[in-house]
Amino acid sequence: MVVRFDVSRPLDTLLKDLVVNDFAPSARLFPAIDIAEYENETVLIAELPGVKKEDVKITFEKNVLTLSGERKAYEIPQDARVLINENRVSSFNRSVRFSHDVDANRISADLQNGMLKIVVPKAESAKPRTIEVK
Amino acid sequence: MGNKNHAALVRVGPKFLMKRPEGPKQIVAPVADVFETAEAFVVKLDLPGVEKEKVHVTIQPGRLSVKGEVGVIHRNESSMLLEEIGLKMYYREFNLGDGIDHQTAQAELEEGVLTILLPKTDEVKSRTIIIH
Repeated sequence: MVVRFDVSRPLDTLLKDLVVNDFAPSARLFPAIDIAEYENETVLIAELPGVKKEDVKITFEKNVLTLSGERKAYEIPQDARVLINENRVSSFNRSVRFSHDVDANRISADLQNGMLKIVVPKAESAKPRTIEVK
Repeated sequence: MGNKNHAALVRVGPKFLMKRPEGPKQIVAPVADVFETAEAFVVKLDLPGVEKEKVHVTIQPGRLSVKGEVGVIHRNESSMLLEEIGLKMYYREFNLGDGIDHQTAQAELEEGVLTILLPKTDEVKSRTIIIH
């Protein structure tokens, strides 16, 4: 399976890391993703803290799975003084291209504790086969 | 910059190149937002994948520390094609000034975001002073 994805980091976070913090916060790519491949399915995990279920959109088209959505800003009282502001994400968009056929109708997704799990079952044609020697 | 945990180290390429070079359970500082109102300090930390039972918030004079452990999210390490999350532990400390009421501090975890409310003591709450 070939995975292509966009790695884009805003320049300001890069500069901030260089200048301010060696022991730096984790979320530069948003969302960060893990992809694991198993015999019958591919599992994609994305970190989506602070994102509501209804603000996530998952599409699958031409073998490309796209995860997009919006992280809404916190409600901060008008008179508040901001001391640390590291969260700059509003909308996000990442895509993964599959090199094998998938069973698109059975793709499922579950969001829990700010972690999204997408299970992408392989099409029958993409599952490993053992060939019996006669 | 000596930061081995840098996500930019993860690049597209053969499978072995996409893995993080270091072992499991790296320690990562969670992304934070902190604001102050007249009544309290509010600390918000991103802890995706951490269950309530695995979060430890400690307040002591002068210091707030937060620890969170991400549960096991993959069945088999060898099946990883891309690993930007990996196994990790969250840890971060904040220096606190005087004037925080430790007894009434509260924490809440929702959608992977931990919100800690640190109320100010009565002595330091800002007041509007009326000029007579």
